[in-house]
Formats: sequence, structure tokens, C-alpha cells
Amino acid sequence: MGEAIVITSGKGGVGKTTTSANLGTALALQGKKVCLIDTDIGLRNLDVILGLENRIIYDLVDVIEGRCKVHQALVKDKRFDEGLFLLPAAQTTDKNAVTPEQMKELITELKRDYDYVLIDCPAGIEQGYKNAIAGADRAIVVTTPEISAVRDADRIIGLLEQESIEPPKLIINRIKSQLMSSGDALDVNDITTHLSIDLLGIVLDDENVISASNKGEPVVMDPANPAAIGYRNIARRILGESVPLMSLESSKQGFFGKLKAIFAR
Amino acid sequence: MVKQQYVTIKGTKDGLVLRLDDKCSYTEMIAELRKKVQEDGLDGMEEVAVQVHTGNRYCNEDEVKEIICVIHESPNLRVSKVQSDVITSEECNRKIVEQQSETYVGIIRSGQVVEAEGDLVVIGDVNPNGRVVAAGSIYILGRLKGFAHAGAKGNTDAVIAASWLEATHLMIADKLEIMTDELTILSEQPEMECAYLHANGFIAIDRLQELRILRPNLSTFKGGS
Repeated sequence: MGEAIVITSGKGGVGKTTTSANLGTALALQGKKVCLIDTDIGLRNLDVILGLENRIIYDLVDVIEGRCKVHQALVKDKRFDEGLFLLPAAQTTDKNAVTPEQMKELITELKRDYDYVLIDCPAGIEQGYKNAIAGADRAIVVTTPEISAVRDADRIIGLLEQESIEPPKLIINRIKSQLMSSGDALDVNDITTHLSIDLLGIVLDDENVISASNKGEPVVMDPANPAAIGYRNIARRILGESVPLMSLESSKQGFFGKLKAIFAR
Repeated sequence: MVKQQYVTIKGTKDGLVLRLDDKCSYTEMIAELRKKVQEDGLDGMEEVAVQVHTGNRYCNEDEVKEIICVIHESPNLRVSKVQSDVITSEECNRKIVEQQSETYVGIIRSGQVVEAEGDLVVIGDVNPNGRVVAAGSIYILGRLKGFAHAGAKGNTDAVIAASWLEATHLMIADKLEIMTDELTILSEQPEMECAYLHANGFIAIDRLQELRILRPNLSTFKGGS
């Protein structure tokens, strides 16, 4: 029996879909069997980021309404041998086409065959959000070091705490280390004390995340990329390993910077 | 046969005390009260304050009004107080609820509202856009960064106390204070502070230590040395 994890944020544009794609890929790289579900019905994106757009035949609404079997709708990622699957959202209907009960049923069915079912939640706190969290066992809240994103994360954590799921965990995405160390952006400590939930990991802002998404190849595939390291660390923490939090300083200085700092003493 | 007196009058240094019998019927009592008030040789005296005591009889609002009306038929009497030894269980329960303090353990996050009929104790933070409302006072063991409304049913003596008072809005009874930058600068140290309704009608913020002078009645602790 696998585990269903919903990835949510409240605010749009903080990187829920990118995080879902990368965590799913990272877990698959660790040898787990992963199923990603895009619940953003009407505004689907996850398929594009994974580069699976042109292979969709059936979607979530087709499964819910019984037009096909679940395994027919699942799109296999060929980069992984039976490791990563996507259940795409429908693009032609809206979020009211699905009810939380139907989602719960579907996710329970998928949990039987997969180690991890990652649910990509749409922005907002309406029907789409309710559908996305319905079948989840755990929740991950994604935020960025901006006050608006932190406020919305606070709201969503409040709503999640009223559900019968485990206390949500936090990912701080798009960290610009220069801005944070100069005090122009909220720092990791401020955000975690304000929200007072466990920090699952941090992800540095990196240009390659966007170019990789555009190519349909999640950035986490590149083991040298700083954002990819963040995602890989988070995936390992999900698997239960204890991985120390990435230091912001070293990523800013680089190897020669560190060397210089040693000699400067 | 000596008729039992349903209304007895006693003089005290604060004025007259009218004790109304609680065994007889209400109409008998009112009739005798009317007679007593008229016949007593009170003419020529200056106005006297009257305290009415209804004993173990429960009088509803209309009955209390009638009693006052009857007494006021005499030009010299003025009712200062109507008291009774009994209250309805409904009223009693309401009073208990108003006096008790409710405790909330956890964080009040954006969009959440916590309301209390009496005092409210929060063990945790109140985050921005979170709201705490209490008919009594609000005490927060944590950071108040949202909206707090004490004395929501008009109690102007209610206070808001917090380990860190960094609220965006404070409200006591019907007075609202938006915590502008000016106020934030004034309270450079937001630690251990309380907000109360000042005599000038505005919400003031002071150190927590001042509370025992500002609102001595808040302390319900009896005894000690």
C-alpha cells in the first residue's frame, strides 16, 4: 500500500507543478514506483513539464466518468522503466466535473499499485483544492520567500489542519541566496517560525529550472544543478532519510570562493 | 385576624428598603404595594431613594417595570435598585459562560476566527489575517500578529494582552485601532504589552506590568500573602 501526498500552496505561481514533476522524478530515480496526478482540471500543465503532452489519450475525467480504465489513462514516462506514470487532468471541462469522493476512490485504487501517489493541486481554496486533498495521506505546502506567498501558505495550512491528514510539511521554493542574506527577502528562519510547521526542504532559484521545464525534462535529472540537489534532498527526506539542510552560503561562494575564504583567515 | 403584611418598609441610611413578600400571589402583592405607597405619610418629605427586594420571587422584565411604576405613583419615591435572590437558570448559565475563560491551544492562521463568550486565552500565535474575538479579555501567550477584538459585547474594561503585541488591528468594545507605523514606532518593544480602552476614548498600549493598576478588577485571585 503506497502513500498519497498532495502538493499545494494556495497562491499560484510558486512552483507546485514544477515541484510535483521534480519530486516525482526524483522518487522514481530512487527506484520507487510513482504516479503523478494532475488535478488542475481545465488548466493542465504537469504533462508539459514532464514532456508527455503529446502522449495523452485519456484523462482524469474520462477515468472518473468510466469512459476508460485507470491504467489506460496513465501515461508512462519512457525515461523510467515502469517507474513514473502521469494521470493527466482534463482540459475541456472544469473542476466541478469531479467530486472529492470520486477522487478518494481513485487514489485508494492507485495506492495499491504505486509506492507514491503525488497529487498536484490547483491554486486557490475552492473545488479543485478540495478534490486534490480528498484522498491524500500527507500534504506538502510550497511557498516562496515573499510575504504574499507566505500569507497564502498560512491560510492553506490552517485549512489542512482541519482535515484528517498528517501535519503538513513545508518546501520553500525559489530562494535567491543573495536577496535572502542581504535581508531583502524573508529568510528561511522567518518563514518557518511564522508558519511553525516542519521544513521539508529548500530549493534555490535557478534559471535552468525554466529551460528544463520548457524542454519537458525536469531539472532534477541534472545532478549538478543546485535546484536539482534541493529536490533530490527533499525526495530522500520523503523516503525517511535524514539529510542536512543545504547551506545557502556555500552555494553562493562556490568552490573557489570557499578556497579563498580559507586562505583569508 | 391580623392580616399578614405583604410589603414591609425599612429605613436605612441609604433610603428605604421595600421588602416584597414572595409567598403571596403577584396581584395581591401589587395591590398592597399600591396601597402602602399611597397611604404612607410621605407627603412633604424630600425625594427618597427606594431599594426594592423581591426575595425569592422571580420577576420578569415587565413585572419589574410594573413594580417601579406603582412605586413611582408616589411623587416622593424613586426606585434606585430592584434586586432579587433568584435568577433563571438560563441567566445563570449565561453568567457562568461570560465569566469563564476559554483556552485555545494552537496557531490561529490566516482566515481563521476564534470566538469566546467569556475571556479567551490563546497558547500560540495569531497570524496575520487571523482573528480572535471575545466578550471578555484576550490573553495571548505568543505573537499577536492579526486582529483581536476584546469586549465584543460592549465591555469597555476588557483588555488585550500578549507576549508580543504586533497586531494589525485592535478592537475593544466598539473602538477600533489600526496599528499604523506611528504606533509601531511608539511601541519599540512589542514584548509583554497590553492594550486597553483609555479614559479619553482611544485604545492605549502599555506595559503588561501596568495592568494591575489600570484594571485592578481583572485579578480574581483571592488571598495569598
